[in-house]
Order: sequence, then C-alpha cells, then structure tokens
Amino acid sequence: MGELGLNLNLFLTQLINFGVVVTVLSYLLYKPVLNMLRERTERIEQSLQEADQVKQQLANARRDYDAEIARARQEAAGILSQAQDRARAQEAEIIAQARQDADRIRSDAREQALQERDQLLREVKDQLAELVTLAASRVLQAELSTQGHDKLIEESLAALGRQN
Amino acid sequence: MTLTPRNRNIAIGLVVLSVAIASMFCLPTGEPHVEVKAEPLFFLIGSPENPFFPFVNSFTIMLIADVLLIGLAFAATRNMQMVPRGLQNALEMAVEALYNLFATINREYVARAFPLVATIFFYVLFANLLGLIPGVGSIGVCQEYHHDTHGTSLTGRLAAREPGGALPLYASAEEEGAAHGNAYNTCPAGTILVPLFRTPSADLNFTLALATLAWVYIEYQGFKVLGRGYLKKFFNTNGIMSVVGIFEFIGELVKLPAFMFRLFGNIFAGEVVLVVLAFLIPLFLPMPLYVFELFVSFIQAFIFAVLTMAFITVATTGHEEEHHEGQPSAAH
Repeated sequence: MGELGLNLNLFLTQLINFGVVVTVLSYLLYKPVLNMLRERTERIEQSLQEADQVKQQLANARRDYDAEIARARQEAAGILSQAQDRARAQEAEIIAQARQDADRIRSDAREQALQERDQLLREVKDQLAELVTLAASRVLQAELSTQGHDKLIEESLAALGRQN
Repeated sequence: MTLTPRNRNIAIGLVVLSVAIASMFCLPTGEPHVEVKAEPLFFLIGSPENPFFPFVNSFTIMLIADVLLIGLAFAATRNMQMVPRGLQNALEMAVEALYNLFATINREYVARAFPLVATIFFYVLFANLLGLIPGVGSIGVCQEYHHDTHGTSLTGRLAAREPGGALPLYASAEEEGAAHGNAYNTCPAGTILVPLFRTPSADLNFTLALATLAWVYIEYQGFKVLGRGYLKKFFNTNGIMSVVGIFEFIGELVKLPAFMFRLFGNIFAGEVVLVVLAFLIPLFLPMPLYVFELFVSFIQAFIFAVLTMAFITVATTGHEEEHHEGQPSAAH
C-alpha cells in the first residue's frame, strides 16, 4: 500500500477536508439555492393561480359588462320607443289643439268681421242719409213739406240698397 | 498562385506535422514525471526518513479547490435575488440541473443525499479541471531523492534495466539516485523534481476518502431504511437467493475499491498519457488529448456522483420491492 501512496494521515486529512467542504457547501450553497428555487416555484405557482383568478374575474367582468350593455340597450330601446309614442301622442294633441285654436280664431275673426261690416254699414247708412238730405236740400233749394221730405229719404235709401 | 481548399488543408497539415516532428528534436522537455503516489513537499510531522504526516502536492490543488468552491458559493449566495443574475444564475442553474438529475434516479432520498453527491460532483470536477492547467505536474521543486517518499521514476527504471531485458517495475535507491541528472532532467544529479501541484483525483488517499464517505453513506441509508432487512439481502436461507446474496455481499464490498480505483485510474492515466505525449512530441499532439481529458474530467465526476445516488437507491430498495417492480402488476 505504501507504493501506492496510501497513508492513514493523508487519508484522514482528505476525509475531514471533504467532510468540511460538504458541510460548508450544504449551508452556503445548497440550502439557500434550493430554498430560493422552492420559493421561486411557489411564487410562480401563486402568480399563475392569481393570473387564472384575474383571467376568471376578467371573463366575469366581461360577461357582466356584456349583460349590462345588452340590458342598457334594451332599456334605451324601450325608452326611445316610449318617447316616440309619447311624442306621437303629444304631436297629435298639439295638432288637434292647434286645429281647434285655428277654428276658433277663424270663427271669431269671421264673427268680428261680420259685426264690423254691419257696424260699418250702419254708419255708412247714417252718413248717407245725412248726405242725401243735405244734397237734396241744396239741389232743389226748395222747401218741401215734411211728407215730401221723408219720401225722398226712403227713395234714396232704397236706391242705395239696390246698389249694394 | 491560389490553392484549392483541399490543397490548402493538406499544406496546413504538412506544416503542423513538420513543426510537431521538429519539436521532438528541437524542443527538449524535462523527464516525464510519472509518480503513482502524491509526493511530499514538506513534512508537517516527521521527516523524509520517517514520513508521518507529509504535506503532499495533492494538498495544494485540494486547498485551491476548497477555496474556489467555497468562495464561489459565498459570492453567489451572499446577496440572493428573486431574479437571479450572473454567478447566482449560473450556480442556481448547475445546482438545479444536478438536483433534477438525481431526482430522476431517486426522488425519495434526493433531498437527503444531495449535499454529499452534489459536492462529490463539484469537487471532483474542480479538482480534475485544475489538474489540467498547464504547469500542474511540471512546475516543481528539486528535492534530494529519497526512495521511501519519491518511489521509482521512469528514468530510474530505465537506468535499472538490463541491456536487452524487460523494464523492471522498481529501481533501487542507488540506481534511482544515479539516474537523475541526465540530459532531460532539469534538476541536479541526486535530486528529483517534485511537482508543486497534483490533482487530488490522482492521489489514492483522496479517492479512497471519497469512496469511503460514499460507501459508508450508502450502507448507512440501507440500514436506516430497511433495518435488519438490509442484511437479509445478503444473508438469507431462501434457496438460490442465498447464493445470490453472497455474490451481492461481495459486490457491495467491491464497490469501495471500485469507486476508488475508477476515479484514480482514469485521471492518473490521463495525466500520464498527456505527460508522455508532451515528452515525445511537445507541440500539437497533446492538444486533442487535452480536449479528451476535459471530457474525462467531467464524465468521471458525473459517474462518481450518479453511481453514489444509484447505489443509495439500490441499498434502500428491499428484495420484495425489486421483485414487485420486476413483475407486471395483476391489478392493472
């Protein structure tokens, strides 16, 4: 064994040295690195789970959003249709009211015009009577009797009535 | 004149070959230092005549490997980040790859055995690679020749050879001392070059220490998991299995020297081949072998670690389980 260099002290030295290296590396390298790898694996798994949850939440939110949008669209369509109905009813009401008002205004105007015409005719008659009297008295320059005076007025008025 | 690629390659080959052959004659190297045992640089306790506790040249690489490994581990883990960078990243990658590899061999015991098997891998790899640095095995100090501590050199054996006879295994102290001081020896007559560095894997004390630790751990795990059942694997009265058990017991004992000599033999042989080739043809020829030795360094570290893990699996598996695993299950 001596020829091969085997020596108990050298063997024990190598044994102790290697044992020390195993112990030191175990605490200095393997333990921290394996812990770090485990921690990283856990964190990645947790992140993946969270990502799945977020994805699920996102899908739920998307579904809720779509449902909300669909509901809002239905509501809007309902409101629009109601508004259109209401507007149509109001339009009809307004048109009816306007027609009534127009009819009323027209009849009032017609009535007023008739009244004004009658009034005007009356006034014209009175004025003409005076004018005819005045003109007749001046043309004839003659004094007439009361009977003859009234007869002349009636004849003039009759002539005016025919002209109109 | 232009050369075709083929002719150019032939020309380059011829130049390289010429330079390599010329280096055989024009570039004398020192005597190839081939020594089976680690040589003492000085004595912690004892003397060349009584070498009780020498500081051998494999200790230098051992200490360098210690410092490098522990230093790297410290530098990589002193400020660990969740997002790793640089050295932390590299070491994490190496540790994780090793852990996953060992887990494929034995998932149950990998956490327990990992510090030992991973250190075997890293330490042997570092020691082997450090041993390949040029200068290891060739830079040294000239020491007075002592047969007890320095053993027999190739030069001494050549000097001891009878004319026309076979190369003897050993040379006497006188022949050895007289042989040194020839044209190829860089040390004066009567002295011998003792390299300052030697890879621990080429020192049997180191490989024996490693093999002992691994073997003891394997047996310890076997007893711990199977209790007395572990011994029943080797000693039982179960017909033919009793004979098989004896063979298994012998195989179990042989694991230790197999571990020891496999690593030592591969690394030491690689060193010898490199040294002898560098002695014969100093330029170019050793280069492909250097690449091969890089591969051998890695593969030996890998084999030692993986075998340890595999033997732990074998030791912690009872015979019943082995049979169950071997037979197709009827439940399916």
